[in-house]
Amino acid sequence: MNVEISDLTRRFGRHQAVAGVSLQAGPGVFGLLGPNGAGKTTLLRMMATVIPPTTGHLRLLGRDPGAYGPRREVRRRLGYLPQNLGYYPGFTVAEFVEYFALLKEMPAARVPAAVATAVERVDLSGKARAKLRTLSGGMLRRVGIAQAIVNEPELLLLDEPTAGLDPEQRVHFRVLLRELGQRATVVVSTHLVEDVGAACSQVALMDQGKIVFDGTPGELTARGTEHGTGDAPLERGYTAVLAAARA
Amino acid sequence: MTAARAAGAQEHGAPVAPRPAAARRGAGAAVLSSGRLLRLELRHNAMLWLLPVAFALFFYNGYREIMALPPMWNLRAMTMQNRLLLDLLIPATGAAAWMGSREGRRRITDLVAVTARPRWSRQLAVWAATTAWAELACLACIAVVYLVTARQASWGSPLWWPAVVSAAGVPALTAIGFAAGAWFPGRFVTPLVTVVMFFGLAFSTQAASGDHSYWQISPLTVGAFDIGAAPGVASFYPYLPDLSIAQVMFTVGLTVAILGGLGIPVARMRWLAAVITVAGLAAAGTAVALAGTGRLDPHGMIVIPALHDAASDQPLRYTPACSRTPIPVCVNPAYAGFLPAVTATVGPELTEFAGLPGAPARLSQVPLVYRQVSANGIDVSASGPRAAAFVVPDQVPGWLGTTGAEFAAQLAEGLGVTLASDVILGGGQKSAAAPTQAELAVIAGSVRFPPSVQSRDLAPMYGQLLPQPGSPADLAGRRFAALSPAARHAWLAEHLTALRAGRVSLAQMP
Repeated sequence: MNVEISDLTRRFGRHQAVAGVSLQAGPGVFGLLGPNGAGKTTLLRMMATVIPPTTGHLRLLGRDPGAYGPRREVRRRLGYLPQNLGYYPGFTVAEFVEYFALLKEMPAARVPAAVATAVERVDLSGKARAKLRTLSGGMLRRVGIAQAIVNEPELLLLDEPTAGLDPEQRVHFRVLLRELGQRATVVVSTHLVEDVGAACSQVALMDQGKIVFDGTPGELTARGTEHGTGDAPLERGYTAVLAAARA
Repeated sequence: MTAARAAGAQEHGAPVAPRPAAARRGAGAAVLSSGRLLRLELRHNAMLWLLPVAFALFFYNGYREIMALPPMWNLRAMTMQNRLLLDLLIPATGAAAWMGSREGRRRITDLVAVTARPRWSRQLAVWAATTAWAELACLACIAVVYLVTARQASWGSPLWWPAVVSAAGVPALTAIGFAAGAWFPGRFVTPLVTVVMFFGLAFSTQAASGDHSYWQISPLTVGAFDIGAAPGVASFYPYLPDLSIAQVMFTVGLTVAILGGLGIPVARMRWLAAVITVAGLAAAGTAVALAGTGRLDPHGMIVIPALHDAASDQPLRYTPACSRTPIPVCVNPAYAGFLPAVTATVGPELTEFAGLPGAPARLSQVPLVYRQVSANGIDVSASGPRAAAFVVPDQVPGWLGTTGAEFAAQLAEGLGVTLASDVILGGGQKSAAAPTQAELAVIAGSVRFPPSVQSRDLAPMYGQLLPQPGSPADLAGRRFAALSPAARHAWLAEHLTALRAGRVSLAQMP
């Protein structure tokens, strides 16, 4: 398992953002669904080793990220796209991706080729020399994805990766996700259920800091056949599970 | 994936094997990787854009003042140390604070926090890039000053210690700015830390009190408070690096301590960072303590006993620059540019007294002697009691706005009066009896005082070596002064013995 989580909690003062989550995930695309404030981003930040859990057990890529050495090794093999992508406006697309390749301690000799590949995979080859300040929001999002995948991560954590992408790019991105999921564990946090349906082989639904559903997109769809509301089958499953959890 | 399914999956698939290549990356690859990171940071560093500002500040503030000084290595190098860091402070500290706060300002903290490279290493790369550009600016300014001075100076070689102190101060400035930006990321940190640093550094040069002051550790301080960069310092004796060594030790220690402090929050490196910080603080503290043991040496520099090399106390060897006057005047070659002014000021006396009994065969410049008095007071005196060993005053033309006329007046008051009194009164071999009125008249008639100083500056000398204004001796002196130097020489050659013996009355004077 690339991700092993048991009874994971995270508190911010009196607020418990994540309340006893247990999950396991191997290679493939794993969708993390849930309404705003469900705890998806906090869970993803713990998995990305940005913040430590308050309690519980977390193993990533077979290592305990609580210890410095294993955490550093995990980070070398990790890709992360936060919900709010900060960037350096004076950097070009290629430089920004190269910067993160170097921070991820990729061998310097491999960096130029890896940067070119990552930029090409997000369809920004034509903009490789463009300054980030000149790019649109959607393009910046793709730059964020490029920096996340530049080191060919074995664990890729994407928080709202399709926010700001146009429909064509979203389709393109889903293809990319499926490709990446063939050899790595990709965890995608999103509130767009159609992304999950199109790209994910597994899906978990969070609400109020807890996992309220863990299964395949098909199983989630099946939950909504009688009780759910929404336009798409997966949306009906989503609403049905949430309604059941809150009841 | 559900827990149940995961359990099943676990039976079939073990955790992904680690990449041995990544774990075994050699030191060479790490250096190459760090080099690429540094190159990126150099390309996108705020200090690069502030280089024109740094050069402009130095040009308008320091360079013009330095170049207005006489072309003497000691004056220009020491003044440069006093100006350069202050001129570079605003761009260097500001750029460092801006770069230090970059991750916080750009809200990229999460993104970089999950990378394998430790935060400390990442920060050091940014600081190093900022410092490299700031240091480049510093070295360029030093190079320009030294190149121009090399073309103008009549003698001597560059003083490197003032340059080393300035260069060593730059990393300290950037480290302070960077740390402030990193610890308090925000847009207002940059102007705040820049203003605080500017006034702090400027104030540090004003707080010294005496040669034992700890404030001498300020990298802007070039010596004893009331002397600083003066022509007489490091012209006759080597430049003493004692204070400079302490200052470099202080700035390097401060830099190391601050950079070490940046690493303390980093897990696993905490102890290493703490040790580095303590070592830096110890070095800086030791340097401050050493500065407090300083004392002013007779040659105008600060001696720190623990750092002092006695070999530096030997005078410099040089071939003096001498004039072709009836009595040759010889000066330290560093003062060669002032020799024409010296001979022009005392030229008539040189013609008048040459060859007379008791007249010196030549006049040789000797160093000034400095002595610390209370607080920041410095007593400056001549090491040679007679005209044969004279001093050129520190107030040379171009130094602190001194004009050529003021320089000539000082020479006339000093060398002119001494030479005349030595010759007329017999070189100090005469008894301690007061000079006769005729002797006073001849002295007054021989010395060329610029009109501007006649009444103002010479008042204390009236009654000692000069007659009272309007007295018969004064009138006789004016008549004597109206003669040509050759006529005065002829009269003195005939009457000097009688004059010294007191057998010449005012009425017998021409």
